[in-house]
Amino acid sequence: MAYAYLFKYIIIGDTGVGKSCLLLQFTDKRFQPVHDLTIGVEFGARMITIDGKQIKLQIWDTAGQEAFRSITRSYYRGAAGALLVYDITRRDTFNHLTTWLEDARQHSNSNMVIMLIGNKSDLESRREVKKEEGEAFAREHGLVFMETSAKTAANVEEAFINTAKEIYEKIQEGVFDINNEANGIKIGPQHSTGGGASGAGGAGAGGAAGGGCC
Amino acid sequence: MFRSRSWFGASWGRPKNPHSLERLKYLHNILSKNTTVSESNRGTLVESLRCIAEILIWGDQNDSSVFDFFLEKNMLSYFLKIMRQKCGGSSYVCVQLLQTLNILFENIRNETSLYYLLSNNHVNSIIVHKFDVSDEEVMAYYISFLKTLSLKLNNHTIHFFYNEHTKDFPLYTEAIKFFNHPESMVRIAVRTLTLNVYRVQDASMLRFIRDRTAAPYFSNLVWFIGKHILELDACVRNDADHQSQQKLDDLVAEHLDHLHYINDILCLNIPDLNDVLTEHLLHKLLIPLYIYSLTSESARRPVTSSPYNRDHIQSIEVITRNLEAILKGKSSDTPPRLTYPIQRMESEEETKPSVSCVVALFLLSQVFLIITHGPIVHALAWILLQSDLSVFEDGATRILEMYLSKAKTNIKLEFSKPQLSLEKALETSGQERDYTTPEYTEPKAFGYDLDKDTDLFSCDLDPELVSTSLPSTSHISETSSIAHDSTEDLVTQIHLVKPTALTAVAQNMPDSPLPDSGIDSSSSKTLSELNNITDEEKQKLLSTMPSTSAEKTMTIESILEKENREIVKRPFLKTILDSLDCSENDYKALFALCLLFALINNKGVNTELLDTLLCPEVDDTTSKVTNSDSANTSNQDEVSGDGSSQSEGTPVRSGKQPMQSFNSLLINKLMIIANLSCKPASKVRLVTCELSVRLVRVAVRGASGAAAARHVAAADALRARAAALARNFYKCDDIFLDMFEDEYCEMSKRPLNVEWLCMDAAILLPPTRTPMSGIAFAKRLPSGEMERARRAIRTFFLIRDLYLKLTGKPETQLPLANPSPFVQVGEVLDLNDSDLISCDITQKDGTWHHRFLAVDNIQIILVEPDKQKMGWGVAKLVGSLQDLEIQGDKDDPRCLQLTIHKPRVGSSGALARTVLLRAKFKFDDHIRSMAAKQRLTKGRTKARQKKMQQIGRLLEVSGISAPSMAQRHRPLFTRPGLTAIRRSSGADGDETERRLRRPSGHVLKDGIVVYRERTTSRESSVSRSSSTHGSREGSPRARSEEIPLEDIRRNMAIATTPVTVTQSQPSTSTQVPKVVSKSSEETSFISGEAPRHKRKGIVETI
Repeated sequence: MAYAYLFKYIIIGDTGVGKSCLLLQFTDKRFQPVHDLTIGVEFGARMITIDGKQIKLQIWDTAGQEAFRSITRSYYRGAAGALLVYDITRRDTFNHLTTWLEDARQHSNSNMVIMLIGNKSDLESRREVKKEEGEAFAREHGLVFMETSAKTAANVEEAFINTAKEIYEKIQEGVFDINNEANGIKIGPQHSTGGGASGAGGAGAGGAAGGGCC
Repeated sequence: MFRSRSWFGASWGRPKNPHSLERLKYLHNILSKNTTVSESNRGTLVESLRCIAEILIWGDQNDSSVFDFFLEKNMLSYFLKIMRQKCGGSSYVCVQLLQTLNILFENIRNETSLYYLLSNNHVNSIIVHKFDVSDEEVMAYYISFLKTLSLKLNNHTIHFFYNEHTKDFPLYTEAIKFFNHPESMVRIAVRTLTLNVYRVQDASMLRFIRDRTAAPYFSNLVWFIGKHILELDACVRNDADHQSQQKLDDLVAEHLDHLHYINDILCLNIPDLNDVLTEHLLHKLLIPLYIYSLTSESARRPVTSSPYNRDHIQSIEVITRNLEAILKGKSSDTPPRLTYPIQRMESEEETKPSVSCVVALFLLSQVFLIITHGPIVHALAWILLQSDLSVFEDGATRILEMYLSKAKTNIKLEFSKPQLSLEKALETSGQERDYTTPEYTEPKAFGYDLDKDTDLFSCDLDPELVSTSLPSTSHISETSSIAHDSTEDLVTQIHLVKPTALTAVAQNMPDSPLPDSGIDSSSSKTLSELNNITDEEKQKLLSTMPSTSAEKTMTIESILEKENREIVKRPFLKTILDSLDCSENDYKALFALCLLFALINNKGVNTELLDTLLCPEVDDTTSKVTNSDSANTSNQDEVSGDGSSQSEGTPVRSGKQPMQSFNSLLINKLMIIANLSCKPASKVRLVTCELSVRLVRVAVRGASGAAAARHVAAADALRARAAALARNFYKCDDIFLDMFEDEYCEMSKRPLNVEWLCMDAAILLPPTRTPMSGIAFAKRLPSGEMERARRAIRTFFLIRDLYLKLTGKPETQLPLANPSPFVQVGEVLDLNDSDLISCDITQKDGTWHHRFLAVDNIQIILVEPDKQKMGWGVAKLVGSLQDLEIQGDKDDPRCLQLTIHKPRVGSSGALARTVLLRAKFKFDDHIRSMAAKQRLTKGRTKARQKKMQQIGRLLEVSGISAPSMAQRHRPLFTRPGLTAIRRSSGADGDETERRLRRPSGHVLKDGIVVYRERTTSRESSVSRSSSTHGSREGSPRARSEEIPLEDIRRNMAIATTPVTVTQSQPSTSTQVPKVVSKSSEETSFISGEAPRHKRKGIVETI
């Protein structure tokens, strides 16, 4: 399991915006969207490469736990990145962003990278929230913005990887205290055996690394 | 979809459609052929498992036969078989297996399918499988699996996980073993799971949880919280220099997490669980560690002993070992008991872990802010407010045992480690499967016998420890009640222990384990010893409480004296109130305030108890008020002191025997803080000031709901002082006005939130001054003249607000109002006979408009001619003149650069300025450009002057308009040494001087203020300042340099008027400034507005 860093992410947003589907789409893209089959999962991990370094992303979905205050607040604190997701076909999910963001800002460490995601971009005909609105919201609150589709996989990779890049940059700048695991960042075990270890690492990431089946 | 892979072998018979029964059959075939995991088939297996998840979900939603096949072939058993193989790549396979299961349980919608999946107990076998949890990946997937399952729990599915007959609940018991896992996400998942389990509310399952797991789990939980706190305390102790703020942040946040978790459990309202949890919390953590630490440090522990005593260090070792055992998923082979050599320290003091008073106050505040569960908070509040000196007689360490021995004798009150690891405890309870708990069915009979206790409950049942620390060990066998059933039992126990004395108490307040406190109000002590207040404080007090008659003063004095006498008997309350002393700094005081605030606002605390703080003592004047409320409150002490006489807690009682209240003392202490914050070199932070002011408001309300006259008077005096402080910074430059409005906006936008405040670890470190600490302005001391001005302004707002709230007057002057409403965009205006200047507006992005520029008293309006009405125009943009930025154009004399801000109106006055337009205005020629510039500059100055006059009125500045105040002018940026001198010389004296000087403009006749015209000075001041502004537009600092010249002139003129500067005595002079302030308001209003008002002559009657 050799990785240089491990980043912990959380996914937040109203129910039904496709958080767990995004997660599964990213961690195991072999799940093909056919027959209107929606599959999601609450946890996933995957290895990516940034700047020639192996970085492991662990993504925790917080769904279904909103009832307990203790749970939500601890989730925020343990994460280095957060994907704040709304559904472009449901205006109310966009309207609730402010509340989510306030919560996140209040409980998370100040360096947490938040990416705003307008999901279900494939459903253009039912769109209720304009892309510009998402952009404006992101600009106003200093977030990175992207529209994605868990169904067509459009931009899903980019969303997670760009967030990771930003975290990585912050590490390079020395903003993150990487020795403090409460920040949601962990330094990987030392690369002991070069090729062999990285091979095992790729395989270990939920089979995702070997998942390029096409 | 999937290209064929070599490890699928030949793609014989592989159905093309990935979502079909055939495909599942094919995958089943693969599984059955590859029952042994090896390097070669690993990939095949993983891919098959992944596909199975996909097909099953598809089947769940589309084709039920898929699921039937899966169940028919018992495919979950393949999963188990694969899992159980210890082979090289099994973690890889395990991860996929777990993920498949996660996907399965997460996405399954058909309830019947879910039941089938769960019915054959395979899932429980998977749960108890010993995964390699040292592998971070496996651990994460495993805990997610458990969490996902817990989200599926309900009244039906619970029976698949909890076996009533075998008393087995692996999902829960396996999960809680990881409650203290080093990985935070794992801990969170465990917490989620436990909460999901508890909320199912299945009686049998909850009984299991209570009987078999609650005590070990909660005792471990509580122990780790305490351990955590000692770490936090060490961090605070060793970091006076703000070095490890990050770590402190985490520790504080972690503590909050714990409290929120506990609160979430308590809020589920499961009586059995809550009782066990409450008991553990109170007896193992909150009382021995939090409250105990409030006793004075010297009494508690020899100075030499380190915060980490041996006991503590040793226990950390044990904890680590336990944790290792848990992580390995094995039970530790050595009986844990052997690892705890029983040690008795020579002195009990040394064995008691404790935290510093500051930390204790802070933590208790958090407890009261978060937890509202009555039995916990009420008991805590009772101890804090009521426990008395008598328990101290046997030495400091005895106090809690004394309390305990009266409340319940069975549990040692100590922050001690659980003696069995959680794992071990769970195992033990699991072995005794047929152990029954008869007491559950007969709620009145409580208690286990000692032997069973030892097995079941891992906390501090070592006989030796117990016997040496508790006065009456014999009670243990009789009333051991670590798992008592309800608060009712608790009361019953109290009856057993002290049946006669406490019956009444118990009946009166059934939700608190009250010991008798026995405040003996008649006991006499020497006054000198007890009077804690310093002379200086007394003086301050006198000055803040001006009273009309000397008699009244005596009463207050005597009440205070009495309360000071009484407080000595309440050690914890005394610590809290003593902490309010800000004479050196407000480090401790802030926490004491937080605690008081949290205590008072906690819903779980009985209001009667709070009357100790909030209700003034019933004296002759107030005893008339005999509504049921106040009568109810009057007997707190009587009940506890003389409980046997109390019958049935009848609420209607006359206040013959008044309760001991510390209301006056509290108000006194709070007023002293407020008073201190009105001093120029105050060490009181804004946040402390705000909080104490807020508490004053609650404390002075008393029983009647209205503040007593003397408190209102005190508040008024305070307000005058705060105004005087702010006046020091009142000067004629742009910065002051902007600062004033910004501070107001900041304050209204972000009122103090104590809960948030107590989340901030930064306040745990000693107060600092430098902004480079990253600490918010309100939470540190001001640095530099600018920040001192901000602080003074903010203090004024806070105290003015207090005064208004106490008097019930509405706020009419803040935020600073505009004399007339702003024109709305789109409004059609009659512009006939208005001065309009035509201009072309070019923005940076190249957009171009032609508009007419109109200037009014407060606003700049850009209009477009109305097409329908000749001479009318439509407002296209309205900006405030006050915030207008004007700049000439070097290259083109016909052009001006303008930045127009949104007007601040009403509630939006509390918002930050927003730029409406930043553009180049091109006029027809340079004359018009100059005219426009002049008009705008003049308008801007006038608008600002009006605001300054409003501020002047608020601050009771003498004179009429802002420029006349130039005498007080000081450049904002001076060297510290210089300002320090000036400040010390001119704080209070100058203020009086100004007050005395003020009547020169007016004549005071029998309370009627007559205005006398002062046209010349006003004219000159206006023209002077406008010319200054005209020449140096847009650069406030440059202008401010120029004004001191005027100062000199003005000061000389004033020097000719004879002025006697006497010692400031706010208590006597309060009447005078009041009158004058009103007169100055009126006069300045007239001078700024319309001369025709002058005719009226009489402006105001007092």
